[in-house]
Amino acid sequence: MDPLLLGALVGICTILVLFSGVSVGVGLLVVSAGFLVIFDGMRSLELMPEIFFGKLDSFALLSIPMFIIMGSSIASTRAGADLYEALERWLTRVPGGLVISNLGACALFAAMSGSSPATCAAIGKMGIPEMLKRGYPEGIATGSIAAGGTLGILIPPSVTMIVYGVATETSIGRLFLAGVFPGLMLVSLFMAWSIYATWKSGDMALMTARSYSWREKFEVLPRVLPFVGIIIGVLYAMYGGVATPSETAAVGALLCLTVAIVIYKLYDIRKIWNILQESTKESVMILFIIAAAGVFSYMLSSLSITQSIATWIGTLDVNPWVLMISVNIFLIIVGFFLPPVAVILMAAPILLPIITTAGFDPIWFAVILTINMEIGLISPPVGLNLYVINGIAPDISLRTILMGSLPFVACMLLAIVLLCVFPGIATWLPEAVMGPAL
Amino acid sequence: MASHAPSPVQRLKSENIFVRTVQNISSVAGWCSALMILAAVFLTCQMIFIRFVLNGSTVWQTEYVVFLVISATLIGLPFVQFQRGHVNVDLIPLALKGRVRFALAIVTLSLSIAITAIMLFYGYEHWHFAWARGWTSDTVTAVPLWIPYLSLPLGFGLLLLQLIADLVALLIKSETPFGLEA
Repeated sequence: MDPLLLGALVGICTILVLFSGVSVGVGLLVVSAGFLVIFDGMRSLELMPEIFFGKLDSFALLSIPMFIIMGSSIASTRAGADLYEALERWLTRVPGGLVISNLGACALFAAMSGSSPATCAAIGKMGIPEMLKRGYPEGIATGSIAAGGTLGILIPPSVTMIVYGVATETSIGRLFLAGVFPGLMLVSLFMAWSIYATWKSGDMALMTARSYSWREKFEVLPRVLPFVGIIIGVLYAMYGGVATPSETAAVGALLCLTVAIVIYKLYDIRKIWNILQESTKESVMILFIIAAAGVFSYMLSSLSITQSIATWIGTLDVNPWVLMISVNIFLIIVGFFLPPVAVILMAAPILLPIITTAGFDPIWFAVILTINMEIGLISPPVGLNLYVINGIAPDISLRTILMGSLPFVACMLLAIVLLCVFPGIATWLPEAVMGPAL
Repeated sequence: MASHAPSPVQRLKSENIFVRTVQNISSVAGWCSALMILAAVFLTCQMIFIRFVLNGSTVWQTEYVVFLVISATLIGLPFVQFQRGHVNVDLIPLALKGRVRFALAIVTLSLSIAITAIMLFYGYEHWHFAWARGWTSDTVTAVPLWIPYLSLPLGFGLLLLQLIADLVALLIKSETPFGLEA
């Protein structure tokens, strides 16, 4: 059979299997086994466990459970609430201070936890009731937190970026750095929209919040600094050449766990077990998908599907930007239905040769891909963050939350356009810190 | 809700003895997995301490840490299955109702059982080769590979057991299809 036709068939079968409710990892193994048996014979199944094991045989993957433990430790404490309080007290004089401090807290918490739903939950629990109490429109209060939460997968350290790095054999250090300025740009766009929408709602009283004394401003800082210090320390260790991402993540995990126990007085053994249990669940889930996706990409390559698609795109002679727009539309649509990790692992091996052949930078593309995945997190039908917010603020309808999130989706699309026009936003920092990519 | 991520609600243990026993085994597997990940954290920190503080050489740690994480992943599979932690997209199940949803749940569980049984069979074969032929890793430490490879049949075996227990729970109606409300 023509590899391209076979590729289309694999695509349709994968979608059908995954949408049937089977877990993503198992679904990928089922599709891989099915096509390998039909086109390569029963003997090809022998290789599956070996490939599965081999895909996990990487020291870089260690950083995934480590960063997850870091995030879980932080999320299990009052760190989110403290961060929110600190920013609110310090940014109180800024117009629209409350929504800005919420978004700032989201960005910082995202950097610390690396998880979108955890960010939404931690900041939203404090931020949304406070914004509603002060009379902010429901759409802005909920939409800003839903969107702010998505920053977790872009701002370093991000598990999504690690997965992309592993899947495409790209430097994780560079990927982390590439996410910094686009992350800050997104926060700025979110803030600009929130201030404009608040101002447009006509209630100028919202722009001025209560004032705090210097004593009140300073007393909250000691509670925030330990975690922020760890994050800065981790990033310094990584870029200062002290240790690899996996090693620094392990130290970060141990420090965050220690801070949670010592400073946040998490003495209860059941709570500590809970952190480990949640981290194990999330890590195993992601690592299982990574290993299964390894088998899936072996199947694609073994049946010459990956190579044929790349060759076919090469012969099309399309404008690279038309190609990039098509890739973006594809990613947005897939991101509506599938979690970022699954999309990256399935799409990266197919898309990367196409992208690099068209002359695009794989580091820059990682940022574009991640922002597309962020859109999926706040768009129906899956939109995990929307449901997290709905869980925090059950009185506000899902429709209101969704409508409130839509302008932030527009901000993300604008960010993608800006990144296309000015790719340096993503590529400048990695090159400045680590030198040009080889 | 179509789920992107694991459900935050912990699954309750079943009243059926077989299902509950398997769930208990999966919980123990979860403990083992978590402890292996924790051991990997400490081992990596120990490696950094030896290398940067004591200026010593580290030979075995990297390999051991990688094997620990691989084993944690495989041994943790049944626990995550028990906790409904494996991410899935339940768009089609949500669109279906009653018996059709039930039938789809049976089909998806049967598919999962089939592929897990295949992985168990070939995983066991792979482990057995390593054990019978005395395979070792290519590194200085030359770790006997049957030890890390043991996690393949063990992990998929326990996952198979948990999936069968899930199927039993579904058939005796102690659980709803896909854990969704009727």
